[in-house]
Amino acid sequence: MATRPLTLAAPAGARRGPGLGAGLLLLAALGLLGLCLALARGEAPGTPGPWLLGTLALLLVGAAGLRGAAQGEGRMARTLPAAGALLLALLAAEALLRAYAVPPGLIPTPSRVGAALWAARTVLLRDALTTFVYEALLGFVLGALAGLGLGLLAVRFRFLERGLLPYTALLSSVPIVALAPVVVKAIGLGWPSKTAVVAITVLFPVLLSTVRGLHSASAHHLDLLHSYAATPAQTFRVARWPAALPFVFVALRLSVTLALINAIVAEFFGTEGSGLGFRIQIEVGRFGLDIVWAAIVVASVLGVASYLLMGALERRFVPARRL
Amino acid sequence: MSAPRTSSPLLPMLAVAALALVLYWPVMLVANRGVADEALRSGADLGCGTAWQCATVLRNPVLPAPGQFAAGFRTLSTPPLAPTSAPYNALVTGSETLLGLALASVLGLGLATLLVFSRSFERATLPWLVASQTVPIVAIAPMLAVILGQYGVQGFLPKAIIAAYIAFFPVAVGAAQGLRSPDALQLDLMRTYRASAWQVFWQLRLPASLPYLFTALKVAATAALVGSIVAEISTISFSGLGKMLAENSRASDTVALWVIMVYGAALGIGLVALIGALERVVTRWRPAR
Repeated sequence: MATRPLTLAAPAGARRGPGLGAGLLLLAALGLLGLCLALARGEAPGTPGPWLLGTLALLLVGAAGLRGAAQGEGRMARTLPAAGALLLALLAAEALLRAYAVPPGLIPTPSRVGAALWAARTVLLRDALTTFVYEALLGFVLGALAGLGLGLLAVRFRFLERGLLPYTALLSSVPIVALAPVVVKAIGLGWPSKTAVVAITVLFPVLLSTVRGLHSASAHHLDLLHSYAATPAQTFRVARWPAALPFVFVALRLSVTLALINAIVAEFFGTEGSGLGFRIQIEVGRFGLDIVWAAIVVASVLGVASYLLMGALERRFVPARRL
Repeated sequence: MSAPRTSSPLLPMLAVAALALVLYWPVMLVANRGVADEALRSGADLGCGTAWQCATVLRNPVLPAPGQFAAGFRTLSTPPLAPTSAPYNALVTGSETLLGLALASVLGLGLATLLVFSRSFERATLPWLVASQTVPIVAIAPMLAVILGQYGVQGFLPKAIIAAYIAFFPVAVGAAQGLRSPDALQLDLMRTYRASAWQVFWQLRLPASLPYLFTALKVAATAALVGSIVAEISTISFSGLGKMLAENSRASDTVALWVIMVYGAALGIGLVALIGALERVVTRWRPAR
């Protein structure tokens, strides 16, 4: 919710400050980088055991660094741990994949994926435009608006709530992989069919959360407003809508990542030749796993960005809970 | 939770269903007319005169006519326990999903506890947990199956693991939100009782998280179902709704796709209903709010 996360852990090491943590992080990262460079020089070592131990030891140092760096409330303390954790994980993966000589056809090393990401950047950007903007984003907005509108209507007209809502609860349980082939068959191979799939999958959770949230206003609050002879519109504005907002945003936050993944999954049932899902499917068939992972990275960046954006909107629009 | 039910919703539900059925026929005719028209113009012999007449007998219609659907339903449902029938395959997919959901609950609750108790853990991992959810499982499912296969994990379990992978995140988010839902007043009260952190967790946070957890589990159930169906599509499978879906999609048997979609929907509804029943049992002791 909008309240600050209440952590129970004692702020141990708070006095040492983030400086020591950042130092340990840097130490671990440099150590892992050294391992990677040493492995890059020659052939894969015959006995990977020592390399594994070295990597694990450096990861432990890094974890201690992360713990220190996460203390405090500054901008650094909020972004450094996530960035540091990613950096350590990537370097450790690179070192281990090289030490164990895992074939790139099974799991490519992060550096190979990075090279593929750069080499295929124009193609991937065009794919991202189709999948993210036309399919996921447009579908999400359409689905969320439809869900909100239907939710408001359902609460306004009891007949609709009682007659329609049970079905929406049922329909929201339709698995998207079963829905996608039918919709693609009905609307066609272009991006609108994927937009429709995304909109349908976003609509139901938003609708259900809206109705549930509008009913969640406290009875005391409603009684009080009733005793003030508040009009239904006033009651809605003062009590029902603020009570509904947290529910609506939970649904939106969960749907926004699902929208992207659903757009990608829907693309597996036929496209006109662009989109991240199309790219992944084509390249898996050609064992171009570095491009596959590059497409996955693009999808993940977009997914995280939209999730963070929803979080920011939630903090902006959901009133902080008061006592 | 919701407003008091004054009467059964059966009558409004029936009214809406009747309206939908009445509207379906003309929509279906209009939707199929174009395809029928095209087929007729290309010279195919459909055994019917005009595009309007052909709209109900197409082999791969945009929307199936009710008669077609019923016939397809009968063929795919009998005998119910044959390896090629939809009910049997739905049962297989359902059990994979339940196992995956159980794995996801354990993983999600553990993760939520860590997220709530350790801010450094939250800050270091939450963005990447979110990122992990945007990884299309269809792409990693075959790789995961190969890697798991190398360690002797085959058949049922890889599908459950892939289902758990897609389902754990809603559970973790919902549980974390629930664990944080007690407000400062309640936490202060616990403090005046000199409750330990563990007691606050066990007696205040965990019970308070249950409504959130069950809401999340319902989302996770459909997600897990998607996971197991996708896993069946992308790994070598001999049973399950995903296998049927892949086969009929390749054969472009549209009516069969509709029938399988209905079975998938029924399975999803059944799973959510199961969790709803579980919720009522578990939260029975909670006083009405």
